[in-house]
Amino acid sequence: MPNTLDSIIAELADADRQERIELLIDFAKNLPPLPDRLAEFKDAAHRVEECQSPVFLFVELEGEQVTIHADAPIEAPTVRGFVAILVEGLNGAQVEDVLKVRDSLIEQIGLPEILGMLRVRGLTGVLRRLKAEVTRAAIARSMGDSAPSTGSA
Amino acid sequence: MGAPYVHPEVLVSADWVEQHRDDPKVRIVESDEDVLLYDMGHIPGAVKIDWQGDLQDQLVRDYINAEKFAEICARSGIANDTTVVFYGDKSNWWACYAFWAFKLFGHADCRIMNGGRQLWVDEKRPLTREVPSYPRTQYTPSEGHEERIRVFRDTVLEHSTSGKPLLDVRSTKEFTGERTHMEDYPQEGSLRGGHIPGAVSVPWNRAVNADGTFKSVEELKAIYEGEVGLKPGDNIIAYCRIGERSSLTWFVLTYLLGYAQVRNYDGSWCEWGNLVRVPIAKGN
Repeated sequence: MPNTLDSIIAELADADRQERIELLIDFAKNLPPLPDRLAEFKDAAHRVEECQSPVFLFVELEGEQVTIHADAPIEAPTVRGFVAILVEGLNGAQVEDVLKVRDSLIEQIGLPEILGMLRVRGLTGVLRRLKAEVTRAAIARSMGDSAPSTGSA
Repeated sequence: MGAPYVHPEVLVSADWVEQHRDDPKVRIVESDEDVLLYDMGHIPGAVKIDWQGDLQDQLVRDYINAEKFAEICARSGIANDTTVVFYGDKSNWWACYAFWAFKLFGHADCRIMNGGRQLWVDEKRPLTREVPSYPRTQYTPSEGHEERIRVFRDTVLEHSTSGKPLLDVRSTKEFTGERTHMEDYPQEGSLRGGHIPGAVSVPWNRAVNADGTFKSVEELKAIYEGEVGLKPGDNIIAYCRIGERSSLTWFVLTYLLGYAQVRNYDGSWCEWGNLVRVPIAKGN
């Protein structure tokens, strides 16, 4: 597992309930804005269907290195915070490392305790979608298609 | 100004809330879909009550019992005679749900802040991250009004078979059966899509304006009486997916239009769409 995500997991796992809430809010507030070149592709093709709020994911590959951009509304801080954890924790990671992240990440960082089981299921959808996008980008590249997945819209 | 709501006292404005923030007889309660919103900033003095973490039993699919409810009130500084004002995200869905739950337990004075959290934020009214604490109250559990405002599936089936008014307040795609869950809420899906036979589709959001406030009496009557043909004395059941959107419709019909017999089917489509051998209708 990549080091950045590891240290985020460690930080959240060590935190008590209230600290964890504060950390998640900080992540939500600090999600970097989408670069202008991607903002126009906030469409159905990049939207995470499984999620209650409009979450948009963009995955780009350079060699084996994954770059993730994402957006979610600040009015939905839970999902925005989780998305920000994935972006910060996995940006620059290798394809293989992203695919190794398991659904249990959500339990590891203590989210069910804060959110309840019903609410965390939508977050699992975000993680699965991210891995599916990384897989798709990797397959596209291995088939000789060098266009970034963001261009497909 | 048009005609007043039938029970105008249950709806308060953001101004009213600002004026009563320090009123010891008033308790402001935030109830949201996104459980982090309260911690990001809330109306000064407001406490958080979460429908899922606080009001739902964690084992059985049901509300908590009256004793647990009394404990939540006591620790939140709510006494039996406190005026409780609810507000929240998503045009007050969860605020209406919490309001409805408080009525289940017989709390007398419940109100909704018109426009909810978003309007308060949009109007740049004060927010704080400080969590207030209030002296514990004595809260005596009361009888409650369950039979007046809540129904279970057998009653709903009887209602459907005998052709009494049923309101389906989900989105059109959920009503027709094109979707088995609300757009973007697959985690609360069901095995079958469609609606309860005899139900009329009136999506919940038709009752609110773009800024989250409720529509006027004239506009509401045009929908529920003009289009649907309901009458104030009708015996009506409303349902949605888990009962939160239909509690908003229940609130509108009961308090804004003054209907006397409206009940919420809180099992809603999450239950009906998974029940064996109950009748289902598809399409329009």
